[in-house]
Amino acid sequence: MVLNTTMLSWVTFIYFGSAVLYIFRMVTGKEFWGPPATYTALIGLLAQSTALVLRWIESYKMGIGHAPLSNLYESLIFFSWTIVLLYLIIEWRIKSRNLGAFVIPFAFIAISYASFSPNVNSRIQPLIPALQSNWLICHVITCFFGYAALTIACGLGLMYLIKGLDRGEGSSAFFKLLPNRDILDELSYHSIVIGFIFLTLGIITGSVWAYSAWGSYWSWDPKETWSLITWLIYAAMLHSRLIGGWRGKRMAIMSLIGFVSVLFTYFGVNLLPGLHSYF
Amino acid sequence: MRKTIFSFLSSLKLTITLLIIIAGASILGTVIPQQYGAEGAIHNLSPGLIQLFEALQLFDLYHSTWFIMLMSLLSVNLIACSLKRFPTSWKLFRKTPSLDADRPFQNLPPERVITIEGKPHGLIDTVESLLLKRYKRVRKKELERGAVFYGEKGIYSRFGVYITHASVLVVIAGAIVGSLLGFDAFVNLAEGESTNTVYVTRQKGIKQLDFTLRCDTFSVSFYDNGMPKEYRSQLSFLKDNTVIHQGPLLVNHPITFDGIRFYQASYGTIPGDEVYLSIRKGNGEAVAKTVKLNEPFLLDDEDTRSEVVRIEENFMSMGPAVLLEIKSPGNSTRFWVFKYIERIVERFPGILEKFPKFNPGLVKPYSFSLDRIESRYYTGLQVSRDPGVYTVAVGGFFIIIGFLITFFGSHRRFWIKVEEQGGRSRISIAATSTKDPVGLDREVQHLIKHLSLVRD
Ligand code: HEM
Repeated sequence: MVLNTTMLSWVTFIYFGSAVLYIFRMVTGKEFWGPPATYTALIGLLAQSTALVLRWIESYKMGIGHAPLSNLYESLIFFSWTIVLLYLIIEWRIKSRNLGAFVIPFAFIAISYASFSPNVNSRIQPLIPALQSNWLICHVITCFFGYAALTIACGLGLMYLIKGLDRGEGSSAFFKLLPNRDILDELSYHSIVIGFIFLTLGIITGSVWAYSAWGSYWSWDPKETWSLITWLIYAAMLHSRLIGGWRGKRMAIMSLIGFVSVLFTYFGVNLLPGLHSYF
Repeated sequence: MRKTIFSFLSSLKLTITLLIIIAGASILGTVIPQQYGAEGAIHNLSPGLIQLFEALQLFDLYHSTWFIMLMSLLSVNLIACSLKRFPTSWKLFRKTPSLDADRPFQNLPPERVITIEGKPHGLIDTVESLLLKRYKRVRKKELERGAVFYGEKGIYSRFGVYITHASVLVVIAGAIVGSLLGFDAFVNLAEGESTNTVYVTRQKGIKQLDFTLRCDTFSVSFYDNGMPKEYRSQLSFLKDNTVIHQGPLLVNHPITFDGIRFYQASYGTIPGDEVYLSIRKGNGEAVAKTVKLNEPFLLDDEDTRSEVVRIEENFMSMGPAVLLEIKSPGNSTRFWVFKYIERIVERFPGILEKFPKFNPGLVKPYSFSLDRIESRYYTGLQVSRDPGVYTVAVGGFFIIIGFLITFFGSHRRFWIKVEEQGGRSRISIAATSTKDPVGLDREVQHLIKHLSLVRD
């Protein structure tokens, strides 16, 4: 195996360790496990960034240089990278580690699928003509930041629903550590807003790419259509917040539904009839 | 009546319903094969289902009447909603803010009130200059024993949604312009050929261009592992037989000429007019010969003239073949020479006896074999014109601008009251914000900290 792929499979274990520490901290209720969880995630992020740079350099050495964002393997790796990056920024901004147990596992799942699934080819491949476009790079980056923010919103939605099971007094440390529902709702709204902006940017940059590669900015290809479906779901969600009584639980459930749509846009589309499925 | 229709059309519930219905319809469109895809997949469905789908226009869902109606209703909803709300926002913007000394301060939590011992000199001036420095539209009203102030910021953020919503309409308008005035077509052009006709995809018709398009060369290159690296057509654009523009066309690098865009979409090969034959006389050595279509050539003896009269890339599903005519005085024979004659004989034993015309040794003492037909590339071009695309692009850009204004700004309004009461000064700070209560709270804390430091 090439160095960068080897490193990336180590990172899988690092994220696993970090997720376990975050969960352990929630379950035991001991802050003792918090800093190691954060530092493990941070070390993972740094190692992963290094591996991505190495992979980029490697592709140039092979004479087919391109940013490591061009196939399923690379996009999954990038997905986990954006989740951890965004999560650590949020942790630092809100000075709370409670989200970690609900978010880092997603990063771990994404990267372990990339590293260990036999269906995912980890080799560096050259770019076919249609993929040779800077707009495509902008497209992938914006989409995955969007997906990461919406993944975090999904984690928050889960927390919201779990918090709803809290029976007040005498509940375990786990429930006590979950932030109160107003805070979760507010945080979830912010993540959805960030996700929605990036999703919109992703659709726009994707259309610009399609316009220069295929001759039409929109051709109702299943992948395009599913990105629109996802976008419409989150647009509906933002508007339903403006109707009284629609915050809270309904929003949490909708953020799970929205996330399923994100996943389908990302993976499920390959199951449908279509013209060009690259990722 | 008119009022209820308007309130229905401008309601947010309608918006949410429409967004979800449109999402659901779009899902349907990704499950049912659309347009060209439908022709292949349709066999798996029962006739009744096909009829139903046809009636509901489900095989071209995104261009169906009802889908377009849904989009139109969303646009009407958006316009109605904006018409309903904009006047309120505009009034808020134009009207001088109220300076009530009591109402904003009702139910003010105690932490929003600070008390300062004494009667600091210039306290009111300090508050005023602080507000003037940080806020807009600052107003002041003298009270009997003190003053009340108003200041605000970020009122522009209330207009972000109007920008976003208007831009959604602009995108829809651009898409309509494109579908009414634009076209999508394709044309296949062999190297060296020219044309001024292209084939329109949706209406299945042809379209005449005002100029002539010529493909000078086409080339394709591959990576070491066999994946395609580059497709390149060298195109010339001519008017009145003079070349006006020339350029290479690559994937992701379309060429625009006369408002029409050309894209490298596909390629393929067609037989050229040169064939490579091997000719053997009796038991002699085979001699290679390159001949051109319809150009007679001489065999060994002076009076036998031969000619390739037809070239087929795949004749009767038996692979490449050429039709050869051999004329000697008073005698003319035509027969086919196949490239894969051995395989054909193997699969169909006795075929040469049954069809002497397939026998490459029909004219004694010669025996022919076909080595190769020269092939030429053709390039497949997508040709389109979309006059709405800039409108869509501008709309997309302003959707994002609208988002940034809406989501990263908030209209924060502050009322500050300074009162003197029995040797003390009391400052009350009331504040509202359109969103981000946490940010507002932080800002109020900041103001409180600042004002508590005012001393004699
Ligand atoms: C697909 C098209 C649409 C998009 C992308 C869109 C986008 C947005 C966004 C981003 C917001 C701000 C939400 C927030 O502050 O959390 C918003 C608010 C709003 N939208 Fe839309 N919208 C769309 C369609 C509509 C339609 C059809 C209506 C018609 C009633 C509508 C009515 C509203 C209203 C009333 C608000 C609240 C404005 C306020 O806070 O004062 N939107 N929209």
